[in-house]
Amino acid sequence: MNPRRSISSNPASTVKSRFTNGFLKALLRINRQRITSTTAYTPREIFRGYLRVKIAADVSMASAIGSRRAWSRAMLRKVRSHGRDGAQVRRMSFLAMRKRNLYGKKIKCVEEDVGCYQANVLRKLVPGGAAMDMCCLLGETAHYIKCLNTQVKVMRRIAEVFST
Amino acid sequence: MDGHENEGILQCPSLQCPSSGMSTNPLPEKVSGMIMNSVSMYKHSNGADPFFSSGWDPLVSLSHNENFGGSSMVSHREFASTPYPIVLENQGISGTSHLVQYPSSSTFVELVPKLPCLGSGSFSDMVNSFGLPECSQIANSECPQNYASSKEGGTGRTSTNGALSQDDRQISAEGAVGSSPNAKRRKRVSDYNNSPVSPRQNAEGEMEKDLSGQSSDVQKEPDEKKPKTEQNPGSNFRGKQTGKQGKNASSADGFKENYIHVRARRGQATNSHSLAERVRREKISERMRLLQELVPGCNKITGKAVMLDEIINYVQSLQQQVEFLSMKLATVNPEQNVDIEQILSKDIINSRRGTGAILGFVPGTSSSHRFHRGTFQGTLPSISSTTSKYPLLPQTVLDNELHGLFQVGFDSCPAVDNLGSNGHFKPEL
Repeated sequence: MNPRRSISSNPASTVKSRFTNGFLKALLRINRQRITSTTAYTPREIFRGYLRVKIAADVSMASAIGSRRAWSRAMLRKVRSHGRDGAQVRRMSFLAMRKRNLYGKKIKCVEEDVGCYQANVLRKLVPGGAAMDMCCLLGETAHYIKCLNTQVKVMRRIAEVFST
Repeated sequence: MDGHENEGILQCPSLQCPSSGMSTNPLPEKVSGMIMNSVSMYKHSNGADPFFSSGWDPLVSLSHNENFGGSSMVSHREFASTPYPIVLENQGISGTSHLVQYPSSSTFVELVPKLPCLGSGSFSDMVNSFGLPECSQIANSECPQNYASSKEGGTGRTSTNGALSQDDRQISAEGAVGSSPNAKRRKRVSDYNNSPVSPRQNAEGEMEKDLSGQSSDVQKEPDEKKPKTEQNPGSNFRGKQTGKQGKNASSADGFKENYIHVRARRGQATNSHSLAERVRREKISERMRLLQELVPGCNKITGKAVMLDEIINYVQSLQQQVEFLSMKLATVNPEQNVDIEQILSKDIINSRRGTGAILGFVPGTSSSHRFHRGTFQGTLPSISSTTSKYPLLPQTVLDNELHGLFQVGFDSCPAVDNLGSNGHFKPEL
């Protein structure tokens, strides 16, 4: 499946490298911001910082994928619309609610498919999944899992480098 | 093998195309019924353009890959990685290059495209738009109402579709059956041509589009077909139907169709709905197999619901890992040498090391202890619910990491204790 993740064989243009570069840039930018501003260790500030990093990670990941995937497009769309609202609060409640409501709503399934309920849960997890049917949803999930793995690996490595 | 290029199932309302190497199966009478069923196939109702491609490659140098509706396209391409090559061999027209080679190993009953189903006038019109000399010959030869007799001409179909076999006497009935829906289909052809399909540069494409138009039209009128299909009860057809299922979802070569040709398997219902259902189910099971490889520890799981649960858990755990890592990165201040971004990125990209001292499957169980202060409960509430089957790093490493993380963040933060009582982390506003 590797060819799917890299545009070309040039190592500089793999998804992983694009993500790494973008994410590092964003991280350093955030750190610079944090240093210049008052170093506040209030939970609120920490949470804001965490959100910024998380959004930077998601956006750089989605940008590394580009528009090739529905989930990356949906993620970019979501981040942009949230940014436009400029509502930090909304983001937080969105985060909180995301976890809470994941299994809250049981949608009645008319298909004979046995995995209908889980499919709805999966739709909430995968960005942009609400508008997909089962077949596309599974495909997007597979790609999303691959990219999440990359993201986790890179972020782990970065954290390792930063903390040494 | 040109199988890869020559993907596509031709629809043959009346005709069967045995290759020279294949043991011919007498085409059942109910071929047209089956064909209609398969035609009505499977409109992939993805939000964007429903899009399947059958590779008509050899016919034309269709090399353009249009990007139709992003995801559906991509997912089809993905699906195309395991195409079912179905090829036809036109015995009659050997000289033409547009013939698709027929795999001798298969025992397909080829479906020849429905072109001949059209009335003579429309067919010759379409064929003429083609601009292929052979086609017109064929068209002329196929014009007769008796479809079977036209097939016996052996000139085979048009370039697009390839193989005709001389066998089908039985299909004559089908020709008649197919005639009435043809009228309506013909009307729809023009409508379909206006559908958002990328313009084909050559006539072949148009021919294909017409075909697909017909098929999609056919699909649009299931009720019209139903009486026809019922005329051709599955039982007869089942008995005669052989061969593997030929299904071609997409072709990377660039020729896209809006429908998929499917063949009913032996002993299976040939109802149009069940065919579509079966295709859909097989697509889904193929995707599930892919996912099974991605998600660790799912090799022994059989069952869609359990598998989906595992997938959901895994995605959730990955997302939580990302969140935790971003929290960590937000609090950890990089040292001075982070200006050397390039070195870092190279190092990170090329790092082949294992996880090292970094948190493994994050917080999993241990974090729930660390987070007793309540700070992170809002962000990682369901961590403890995740399964513990994902590999955990040694406890000591985790402890150190987490202690370090918290020390940095919460040294001088008396307010943290106030949040301990809260179930969720809600910063004061």
